[in-house]
Amino acid sequence: MTTSPDLPVIHVVDDEAPFRRSLLFLLESVSWQAVGHESAEAFLESAPVFPPGGGCLVLDIRMPRVSGLELQRRLKASDTLAASQLPIIFMTGHGDVELAVQAMKDGAVDFLQKPFKDQQFLDTVERAVQLSLERHAASRRHQEAQDSLARLSAREREVARLLALGQANKEVARTLGISENTVHVHRQHVMEKTGTGSAAELARLILRADPAGLD
Amino acid sequence: MTFPSLRHSFCAVLLSLFAGLAAAGEVRLGVLAWLGSEEAEVQWAPLAQALQQRLPGQSIVLRHYDLAGMAAALRAGELEFAVTNPGHYVTLEAETGLTRIATQVGETSQNPAHAVGSAVVVLDRRLDLQRLEDLRGGNLAAVAADAFGGYQLAWAELQRLGLAPEEGNPQPHFTGFPMSRVVDAVLAGEADAGVLRACLLERLEQSGAVAPGRLRVLAQRPADGPCRVTTRLYPGWAFAAAPATDPALSRQVLLALLSMPPDAGGLSWTVPADYHPVHELLRQLRIGPYAFLRETGWDSLWQRYWPWVAGLLMFLLAWGVYTLRVEHLVQRRTRELSSALAERHRLEAQVHAGQQQMDHLSRLSILGELAGTLAHELNQPLATMGNYARSLLRRQQSGTLAPEALTQAAEEIANESERAAGILAGIRAMSRKRSRVREVWDLAELVQAADRLLHGMAPRGPAIVLGELPAAAERQVEVDPLQIQQVLLNLFKNAWDAQQSLGCTTPIEVSLSLVGERCGVAVRDHGPGLTPELRARLFEPFFTTKPDGLGLGLSICKTIIEAHGGELQAWVPPSGPGLIFHFTLPRAPLAVPAPTGSESL
Repeated sequence: MTTSPDLPVIHVVDDEAPFRRSLLFLLESVSWQAVGHESAEAFLESAPVFPPGGGCLVLDIRMPRVSGLELQRRLKASDTLAASQLPIIFMTGHGDVELAVQAMKDGAVDFLQKPFKDQQFLDTVERAVQLSLERHAASRRHQEAQDSLARLSAREREVARLLALGQANKEVARTLGISENTVHVHRQHVMEKTGTGSAAELARLILRADPAGLD
Repeated sequence: MTFPSLRHSFCAVLLSLFAGLAAAGEVRLGVLAWLGSEEAEVQWAPLAQALQQRLPGQSIVLRHYDLAGMAAALRAGELEFAVTNPGHYVTLEAETGLTRIATQVGETSQNPAHAVGSAVVVLDRRLDLQRLEDLRGGNLAAVAADAFGGYQLAWAELQRLGLAPEEGNPQPHFTGFPMSRVVDAVLAGEADAGVLRACLLERLEQSGAVAPGRLRVLAQRPADGPCRVTTRLYPGWAFAAAPATDPALSRQVLLALLSMPPDAGGLSWTVPADYHPVHELLRQLRIGPYAFLRETGWDSLWQRYWPWVAGLLMFLLAWGVYTLRVEHLVQRRTRELSSALAERHRLEAQVHAGQQQMDHLSRLSILGELAGTLAHELNQPLATMGNYARSLLRRQQSGTLAPEALTQAAEEIANESERAAGILAGIRAMSRKRSRVREVWDLAELVQAADRLLHGMAPRGPAIVLGELPAAAERQVEVDPLQIQQVLLNLFKNAWDAQQSLGCTTPIEVSLSLVGERCGVAVRDHGPGLTPELRARLFEPFFTTKPDGLGLGLSICKTIIEAHGGELQAWVPPSGPGLIFHFTLPRAPLAVPAPTGSESL
């Protein structure tokens, strides 16, 4: 099935063909783009991308060979797979509560215990897709922040960090052992290059690029 | 038997003997004074004189003793020689080691072995007394109880005939010496009969003291001498040497004795006789050295035998206690055994009565084992059908329901409902209560049926590959097909669980083989296997390695297989990981074709 990257894509991985097909049929009934995979390996081989339109991964927790949990672990460990940011929903059988808890600790966004209602399934998918879009946006902002900070020289990044921490030019000059005048010049360059207008904006940018940037 | 003419000279000799006591060549001769010392002097002085004459270098000293006194003197070494009656001699021979060198012979016979005998006399007119046995109930006169020829010989003769004078049958009547008193008692009618030394009667008749023919000898037996006798004849008095006596002296004395002419009474000495008959006699009468045989009094018996009696009593006591204990144990064991048997019968009856319920229960238990999987497998088609139905409704409501979508959904729903029905049909047959059956089935068919059943319940179950197969005619077994399928299903499920824990999808291998009169089935998985400890406990009820297992599956399988006369075991594969479950079933008698039946499962 060809999918449009601008629209969300739902991946369903379940080795039980009739059930997998029924989920795809259900998703298509409410106009989601859905792709079925008969195994974890088949999903990885399809080299899925993180579509700009968002999406999510619905995983059967028990599958022969590579289980759903194992696939989750592989995705988490990988920083090259574009699909690593896709939110994961697990489908569990009766008595798989422990596995489900493990899956949530490992970052799954939700789990559905079979048998589940169609509406419950669709709502969960909806929330996951929404989350994927948020993640997508956050990711984009993070990238932009990193890009703009990357344009600063080392000294300018130093000055920017101190300013973002709320220091006045005079304090910055004293901390760095340079003249207040020089600090003033650096500040102007930082503001220009990052497109920020205040120390507060600068602080947000730094945190967006690196949540530990002001520690 | 008195020798008054000799008394005087004897006294002279005696005096001279006493005078020579200290002389080196003193020879002390002890004689039995059975009629008292004075009579002994009279009786034996001539012998002493004759010896003295023939042994001039020796000084002969005559001493007289009673029975016990002679024995004591011999033991003390106070005598070189002793002269005594046959019975006493035999006693002393045994007690002191006395050795006879000569035996006295006389009137009775010149045979030294036949020197002493007895005659039992009765009044001739007593026609009622013809045999010794006729004395039964009467009384018998005799000189003394310890008189050899005067009583003991007759006693022995009576005893041989079954009479017992010591018990008063006939009643002995002891007159004391001289022996003529016995004759008087008989003549006076005081006694029915009397015991006389052989030849005394003849002498009395000769002397006129008794009229010939007045007395008659009872049970007279032929004798080799002139006198009438009733008893057997025995050796005469013995002349014996003490153990310490110089053999050379003994030889001199013997030569002297043999050279002596018969004395006034016709008695002389000759070569020693065999005293064995005397021994026999004394033993028979239990007197002399055999006196102990008659010591039947409790005291004497106790004195002599108390250690034996005590030992015997101890033994009897111990034996009695042992017997009682054994008896007690036997009774207790018997009770225990019978109660155990009764209990067993009761249990057997109970087991038999509960057989149907147990079959039912065992089937339910296996269902329980499968329940988790079953619920999952039934949920899948139900959820699938639900999804399609809901999807159709949504599309219908939103007006986007395309005909192709409707077809696809309807087909899927139909397929899934059939699948669910198949799963339920598979378990229904198993959960139904059935009576015990035995049918002839092809074991390979049963394996295939169980395979279908497993995959009907669990389509995702691993492949089951039927390997090695004997010829169809040799795979026929007589079984309850549902029970055997239960076992197979259980083993497949175990194999599957074991492999799943490793994520292994290798097919489960099933092979059939002939084991003697049985057909064997091996189910091999490629799971992690089991340690020997776990393997040993595998068939115990409620033993399980599964977190949610009941631990009944294999124990029930074992019960089923054993009820069919087979065996269920767990083996380690010859190579590679995993475990082999192997069971055997008795083969059906040949030429019984299997009924068509797998369809009915």
